[in-house]
Amino acid sequence: MSAVAAKPQAGGAMNPTAMAVGVVLLIIILGVCWFVSPNLGLMALIGIIIGGVLIGFGTHFVPVGGAPAAMGQAPGIATGVAMLAAGAGLAGLFGGAWAAEQGMVVAVVTGGIGGGLMMAITCLMVNFVYVFGMGIPAASGKVLHDPITGDSQAEYKSQGTEGHGLPFVCFVGGVIGGILGGAGGTLIYLELLSLYEASFPTMMNATLAQITPVAVSVAGMFAVALFLVNAVLTAYNITGTIEGPHDPKFKRWPRAIVASAVASALCGFVAILIVAM
Amino acid sequence: MSVKVEVIEGGVPHNKIMIAGLVSTLVCIYLTYLNAFTNTEVFSFFGGLAVVSALIWGSHTIKVLCSYGIGTGVPSAGMIAFGSGVIAMLLATKFGMLAPIVALVLAAVIGFILGYVSNNILNMKIPAMVQALTEMAVVGALTVMGFAALITGGFTFTGLTTSATSIMGMPSYGNSFLGGGLIAVAFLLGAIAIQHPFNACLGPGWKQDRMLMLTAECGFLSMIVAAVMSFALISAESAIISLIIALIGWFYTYAQYFVLSKRDAAAWLDSKPIPDTEGH
Repeated sequence: MSAVAAKPQAGGAMNPTAMAVGVVLLIIILGVCWFVSPNLGLMALIGIIIGGVLIGFGTHFVPVGGAPAAMGQAPGIATGVAMLAAGAGLAGLFGGAWAAEQGMVVAVVTGGIGGGLMMAITCLMVNFVYVFGMGIPAASGKVLHDPITGDSQAEYKSQGTEGHGLPFVCFVGGVIGGILGGAGGTLIYLELLSLYEASFPTMMNATLAQITPVAVSVAGMFAVALFLVNAVLTAYNITGTIEGPHDPKFKRWPRAIVASAVASALCGFVAILIVAM
Repeated sequence: MSVKVEVIEGGVPHNKIMIAGLVSTLVCIYLTYLNAFTNTEVFSFFGGLAVVSALIWGSHTIKVLCSYGIGTGVPSAGMIAFGSGVIAMLLATKFGMLAPIVALVLAAVIGFILGYVSNNILNMKIPAMVQALTEMAVVGALTVMGFAALITGGFTFTGLTTSATSIMGMPSYGNSFLGGGLIAVAFLLGAIAIQHPFNACLGPGWKQDRMLMLTAECGFLSMIVAAVMSFALISAESAIISLIIALIGWFYTYAQYFVLSKRDAAAWLDSKPIPDTEGH
């Protein structure tokens, strides 16, 4: 098959067999993890899966415009999903990591706020550049009225484009996506950090204080890696661009939930094996 | 003026590049094990050469995958390659001398499952997807392992977490590849080097040899940075050897890339202004 013939990619259709295989795979990985490390490891793995699913679901909210947005021909932020999700998620992850010592809830909320703040600033500045730099109004091409404000969109949309700029609903979607992504990334980091801090001292025969840099670094690296895997899988799900929660592509999220859960379970299990073996 | 095409469309087949890249990467990583036999660190530079050969293989894999127009941009492929690769690599380091082989197998398993997930669950339906994601996870794992060998002189978990220098008789963990967070730099050095060449060279004028030369250039450029970082963890002489090899490799590949770019640059035909046939 030539590259051109393969162009029409992922449609909105679900593949029930593959979804079932994914769920079975997820259960198998959970079972093996229960076998290898019944208490600490399984709890950590469940936390990692929840975090991964949050990242995968949250990425659907982010208005990703890609190259058409850079030319003002489609709404959204003018870059790819992986870059945006990594930016928001890592900002949240770093924010949450600072608060890691203050308990799970505070740290996860801090991570979410970090990610949301990052996306809010990004959306604001992107709109600033669109409106004052490129001289285009914000208008969505996918809906006639903004679902939140009810503002009419069609009059502001240029002919031959799919819309442009960042309408209010895209802005809100971006912030929600950032919050979910940042919280998910922080959750993964915290689960792995507590696991490593509990296991590394006996494994490496050293005190907790000595081992902390290694535990932080390894947990952080795994969190970043898991984040990128989940973000890219979601990017594959929405095939590039999405306007936000009002976009028809948003309805594809169940596929991404299964995919993120399987990928997070697999990668998280490998991360747990480091201390369980 | 005519453009001289030295390589036919498509160039060297992908399987050949894959096998050559895999074998040379594994051999180079294992050559750093000479450090343990001879009790020195001067063979660390082989880790950098492993990085370059793995990247050359990986960038061609990205070309195979992204020719299908996955719609998410080329950088995302580099990110998932290293995201899945570094996970396999970290676990594999616990297997001592077997680490590169374990990294290869483990990364292949992770990559295969991720490929299945994206091709079937996410319904991408791209023929090259499963194989490409499998290969890229392996490339990611071996590249980070090559960086680890270059920077620390070894690739075992103990070597990556424990510093050779000790503070008051206690081993120091903060001053190491993992404890010092050097792995994050290695991760992104590799992830950028693997995705940039195809991103920069894609298009109708794509030429295989030019893209692979750019990959080698990016690899050596990353190796320069990693060699500078290795001054912190291995002896100065060994780090200088790595740095000199990286600089020579970078100058050579950069010059070659420049030559290839000039070769492939769009020809400008001197067609003269519209001839003024009437009148004079």
